[in-house]
Amino acid sequence: MAGFSDLNIPQGPDKKSMQGLLETAAHLGYSAVALNHVIDFKEKKQEIIKPVSPSELFPSLPVVQGTSKRIKVLTRLTLVISDPSHCNLLRSTSPNIRLYDIIAVFPKTEKLFHIACTTLDVDLVCINVTEKLPFYFRRPPVNVAIDRGIYFELLYTPAIKDSTMRRYTISNAISLMQICKGKNIVVSSAAERPLELRGPYDVANLGLLFGLSEGEAKAAVSTNCRAAMLHGETRKSACGIVYTLKKPRKVEEEETLPACKKAKTQA
Amino acid sequence: MALSEQAGAAASFERRVLRSAGEHHYLRVRLELPDGGARPNVAQFKQLVVSALKELHGEVGAALPVDVLTYEEKTLSAILRVVSSGLVKLWSALTLLGFYQNRRCAFRVLQTSPFLLALAGNSRELVLD
Repeated sequence: MAGFSDLNIPQGPDKKSMQGLLETAAHLGYSAVALNHVIDFKEKKQEIIKPVSPSELFPSLPVVQGTSKRIKVLTRLTLVISDPSHCNLLRSTSPNIRLYDIIAVFPKTEKLFHIACTTLDVDLVCINVTEKLPFYFRRPPVNVAIDRGIYFELLYTPAIKDSTMRRYTISNAISLMQICKGKNIVVSSAAERPLELRGPYDVANLGLLFGLSEGEAKAAVSTNCRAAMLHGETRKSACGIVYTLKKPRKVEEEETLPACKKAKTQA
Repeated sequence: MALSEQAGAAASFERRVLRSAGEHHYLRVRLELPDGGARPNVAQFKQLVVSALKELHGEVGAALPVDVLTYEEKTLSAILRVVSSGLVKLWSALTLLGFYQNRRCAFRVLQTSPFLLALAGNSRELVLD
């Protein structure tokens, strides 16, 4: 079973508040989080900096509740693209971009949404949840994105902060569900304070409100997040990745026989 | 002989199937507030829950039968009972509640179950590996 993950913890300058967020996330049961670094091209001269290594930032990571493992911290880059020229950066395979574990784009127009879904080498496409959708989702780009293993990201913290944004969050989510039919959805937080984080089961329940089924809602905080992480990992390798898992061996074959068979051999 | 043994083994188990699902669901919740400041008493707590329901689901949500079975003011933890059909509504309303008296707050849903007795222990707090 894939553990729960939250793929959007905004990276702030304050180390102490980041530590608090991580501790809360671990306590709530998230086994992996991604520190998000946002670059908005509208603002002047945004340099893509090297990702801050999590081990440098946090000397001791908190232990995930219910397990004895420590929380896994990834790095994520989000590019807010409002002009087609911004995509060149992703195509030119800048060395600093390759260092991030997950790459997400936030398309502002329908054309850019189409480009992001069909051609860009990204893992996540962010869906606007703070204002009315500037465009309608169309089936062809969404289907291509699902085939390519790109996930759509919905945020829930704006819905906690403000009732107008809550309305937009739910309405935009429902209109996305009509097109993608609940496939390839990731729900993450973007929480700046520990009190804005919610537990994974709460978030899965929130998915029901967005029009997901129970299974899809749980996948949106667990397996889909893992798939997005692995998709990001394939970018670093030549063609793919394989994980192997050691299977526990059966102790004794004799003991595992069903009771009725045993009875027959005795008689 | 084998047959009789099988029959004997079968007789020692009784299979019970609950066809109609339970009427209610129970939630153990904890309200998280920043340190200092007012803490709600049980009436204010119930009001907070109802106002959260009303904010997200409107009048229909506010009319949902929800009971506060126990409430401990010291730890701000409570056990809520809700009709099963309203579980998702109540849970989502609690999740999306962000403010108590203009201060940030968060509801942590610790456990949910259709059986009140199941809230006596929490398997998620066990360390298994």
